[in-house]
Amino acid sequence: MDETIIAILRSGTPLVYVTLAGVLAQRAGIWHLGLEGLMIIGACSAVLGLVQGGSIIVGLGIGIVLCVLASALLWFVIEKLRANPIIAGLGLTGLGLGGTDLAVQAIYGSQASVNAPHGLPRLGPAFGEYGVLSILVVLMPVAVIAVWILTRRTRWGLQLAACGEHPFAARSVGVNPARMRLAALCLGGVLCALGGAELSMGSLQIFAYGMTAGRGFMAFAAVIFGGGNPLGATGAAFFFAIVGALGIRAQLLFGERVPPDFLLALPYVATVIGVWISGKLRGGAKAAASFGELRDY
Amino acid sequence: MIGYLTQVIRAIAFVFIALLLCGVIFEFAGFSAPLMFQSIADGAFLSVRAWENSLRWGLPLFLTALGVVISFRCGFFNIGAQGQFYMGAIAATFVADGLNGAPAVLVMPLTFAAGILGGAVWALWPGLLRVRSGTDEVITTLMGNFIAGLFLVYVTSGPLKDPSGTGQAASSRPIGEAYRIAATSSISPAIIVIAVLVGVGMWVLVNRTSFGVLSSLAGRNPIMVVWQGARLSRLGLAGFVIGGALAGLAGTIEVLGPIGRLSSGMLPTHGFTAILIALVANLSVLATAVVALFFGGLAAAGLYLPVLAGLPAAAIDIINAAIALFITARAWPKRLTGLFGSRQDAG
Amino acid sequence: MTTGTATALACRDVSVNFGPVAALADVSVNFAEGMIHAVVGQNGAGKTTFARVAAGIVRPDKGGVEIAGREVPVGHVGQARAAGIEIVHQSFALPPSFTVAEAMEFGANGSGSLYTRRDLERRWTRHLESLGVRVKPRERIRDLPVETQQAVEIARALVTDARVLILDEPTAVLSPSGIDNLFERLKVMQANGVTVILILHKIREVLAIADTVTVLRGGKLVEGPTSTAEVDAARLAASIIGSTDDILSETDRDALVGAAEDEGKETEPAHHAGPAILDMRGVSTRPDPEGPALENVALTVGRGEIVGIAGVEGNGQRTLVRALSHLADLTGGTITLSGVEVTHHPLSARRANGLRVIPFERNSEGLSLSSALWENWSARALLRDGVLKLISPARLRRACTAALQVWDVRFNSPNQPAGSLSGGNAQKLILAREVDDEATLIIAAQPTRGLDVGATAFVWRSLREARDRGCGILLISSDLDELFDISDRIVVMLSGRINGEFSHPYHLGEIGAAMTGADR
Repeated sequence: MDETIIAILRSGTPLVYVTLAGVLAQRAGIWHLGLEGLMIIGACSAVLGLVQGGSIIVGLGIGIVLCVLASALLWFVIEKLRANPIIAGLGLTGLGLGGTDLAVQAIYGSQASVNAPHGLPRLGPAFGEYGVLSILVVLMPVAVIAVWILTRRTRWGLQLAACGEHPFAARSVGVNPARMRLAALCLGGVLCALGGAELSMGSLQIFAYGMTAGRGFMAFAAVIFGGGNPLGATGAAFFFAIVGALGIRAQLLFGERVPPDFLLALPYVATVIGVWISGKLRGGAKAAASFGELRDY
Repeated sequence: MIGYLTQVIRAIAFVFIALLLCGVIFEFAGFSAPLMFQSIADGAFLSVRAWENSLRWGLPLFLTALGVVISFRCGFFNIGAQGQFYMGAIAATFVADGLNGAPAVLVMPLTFAAGILGGAVWALWPGLLRVRSGTDEVITTLMGNFIAGLFLVYVTSGPLKDPSGTGQAASSRPIGEAYRIAATSSISPAIIVIAVLVGVGMWVLVNRTSFGVLSSLAGRNPIMVVWQGARLSRLGLAGFVIGGALAGLAGTIEVLGPIGRLSSGMLPTHGFTAILIALVANLSVLATAVVALFFGGLAAAGLYLPVLAGLPAAAIDIINAAIALFITARAWPKRLTGLFGSRQDAG
Repeated sequence: MTTGTATALACRDVSVNFGPVAALADVSVNFAEGMIHAVVGQNGAGKTTFARVAAGIVRPDKGGVEIAGREVPVGHVGQARAAGIEIVHQSFALPPSFTVAEAMEFGANGSGSLYTRRDLERRWTRHLESLGVRVKPRERIRDLPVETQQAVEIARALVTDARVLILDEPTAVLSPSGIDNLFERLKVMQANGVTVILILHKIREVLAIADTVTVLRGGKLVEGPTSTAEVDAARLAASIIGSTDDILSETDRDALVGAAEDEGKETEPAHHAGPAILDMRGVSTRPDPEGPALENVALTVGRGEIVGIAGVEGNGQRTLVRALSHLADLTGGTITLSGVEVTHHPLSARRANGLRVIPFERNSEGLSLSSALWENWSARALLRDGVLKLISPARLRRACTAALQVWDVRFNSPNQPAGSLSGGNAQKLILAREVDDEATLIIAAQPTRGLDVGATAFVWRSLREARDRGCGILLISSDLDELFDISDRIVVMLSGRINGEFSHPYHLGEIGAAMTGADR
């Protein structure tokens, strides 16, 4: 049982950080499909920073700076160049995947993955079996609550929500929606850097090309599933993590009888079902509003 | 006409900006940007062999991109071309492999039908979820890509596995020689004919039928066509299914043609590139043909770089991604508007 | 000119251009403190732009704004609010998913602190009570009736110490008694020292409440601020409309500027309606996303008859139009069009039967703004003829050009996007599509909203001509003057039900009472 909980926490924590970033963007009115790219930049920087710079702090710092810069670039393209957020987000994801691949190849030649000498600081043996969890797992609930307070219990949060829902209302009380979106995206960049670092340095201590494997998109689905509420979205993220962990369990139980690829597909299937249910509950997708280029209302 | 010209110029300008950004990234990563671009041009366009390669990569991309054009014109963000491409390839391989030995006149039509159907079905379920219960198609088609990718791994290492396989990636048995429409890694008249026929058909559909006008109205403003009495769900589903079918057709062509077998993890960026082509071409069928050739060239260069120039192929992914980042931009930044054109309204 | 008191708000040489259009040209005006000022003009005269410049939302190309004698940087909402100016928008500007308390909080000055839900509700309940707004702070904005929404919006504007309150066409959405309540509330505020600037377009209302009146026409200041004691309705009407007597009858002109008498007068003899073209019996629907459910609605429209639907917005008018267009779910009743029961027929079949719809939202439901004129124009015909038919775009473009010329649309090319047309021309494009020879029932939902005098007169003339050809017309409008002027019969809707039917001569008092349910 403990093992399963640890597995769920380990696979769920990176997802939750990135989901929170998605929640912030969602409330500001941006459909953030660049999460995947930001996450892998965070994962790559943590490992390369540790290996090259010698310190986990350097790795985290580089990751945060790069993710914030990339978020600001996305903001510029969406807000100032009025690009379609979905396509621009996918572009950012591609830049993240390609850029990290290039960085690894530039340093290590054609090597496919980079091992780190050690991971993030752990809780330690005082916590028994749970001692293997990294500090970012412990900080995760703090981040969730902080984002919840920020978005649901402060005037800033209300203004952010107004920017997403009714930008004119925000403008007419003197709030600058563009600036609010920049803040939300950059804050999300920090969270993505942490999520990526936890992914590569929390339990694995390795960076491999494309290791995010769609987690950023799953986080985006969790945001929609959770209806833009940080708590709901966190719940959705953990739901995906649990499905994933159960898949691995099932693999141990059934062994050869079920092809492993089917079990690996479970989180993706769960995501589809989750989005379908939330669509049913809320009476339809709202993606239309972000069609930008191709739609005119 | 002038409006059209500005659009073209703007598209080219933003592609240029994207390439600049790529140059910065290359330099930052320690590669020489001029050398990188020179090698890409060599691999893509600067020899007859390069042009053949560009066509080899460009034509399947053209077909998939046409599918994206149709479904985007209908107003649906079907970004599942990759999965639909895989499912088409898988279905085609099942038929061609299962009927191996039967006469080609029987097997070929069935294989193509299976491939087209495979892609169409993989687009149908997100389409149904979208029009029936309003499930966001961006997520479902994206997840469909991942699921199809895993399914491809499963069939190539399971039911269709080539027992004599030695390569790193699992793959199916080679397609029987009798059913091949092109030699390995090359282009053939058959593929060109298919691409031209489909291209003409789609041009007529988009530019010379009611469907073309109504779907583009629906894509830009679905509410308006509903008030005109259109059944949005049918238009939308048609868009999804045509998009999937064309991606499936491209998958079939790859399996029967240049690749000659199904292999796990084949062409992992095919769908994304097709979306880019459609957007750079501003959802016009004619422009798609030209743009597909350009991106086909980039794809060809992606193979050329590591083998002949000793440079990482990731450079091509970065170029594609940077273009995606900028291509849908509709405005110059405010400070530049004074130089380039009219002011945005203040409201 | 009012002199002797301090100036609350002064605008100096304000000019605003939207693209090639001059929305405001060199407007200079001073508003005295502690009064209720009216700014009037036709649609498109620049009233809203003027209000937004004063509130800092629109940055003028030229000119300055002074509040209480101090220069305020233009185009800066924060500074304008800090100087004490607040605005209530015509289509309200509160996020619909917010609760009342949240809507109050998000616009308050400063950065605020952490709050709990209960804190927030307690704090703002007091504020709302002090203004006499009866609403639960937990209710969501989207669930509030229009009049309460407006009261909340005004309360939102008063969370800071507003010295100048601008209301942009606040009466457009209210019932006659709602307007009276609003005016009472404004007088209380005036007594508390707030300067009120009302954007209006009805002379009757100006004379009922304002101390001074200012007239804008075509973006220019025509007169004012003039004390309302010194003007009469006729002079004001002339000054609002200018010299367009040639296209307007006297009753039309009075209807346009809201100068018609309170008591109904005998106008042209009522039309004799022919056999029913539309016959709705006992129609009920599910609650609709855009309004309350219909309950047991019975309604007929005869050949050659204009039936007006009156009612405060949000009382089921949208649901009615959607039910007639097969876009709302019926739970009971029957709908018959020209003798054919169409209760379960889709909109395409109803359109084939002669139904035409000019929907409420010109820019989203009526047109695709980014699509070409010819595509918008030909949509109805293309759908009628089937989706897989081969077409010739060149021929459609020519046909579109010819049709738009007949309908007097100002355009350059059939390829230009519909979004490049002015509101009036856009509406004419919709008319060109919807008013054809095969039409038998035309639903016109707010067909003149936001249009200038010329375009409004054009729409009225088109509807009357269609009636004279034998069409039945269902006209939904929230402008009673418009309904009184051109309807042969008026039906009042309240909460999804039919609450009264009236024929000539109309009395504002009776119909107003039916609109609010005060007649029961």
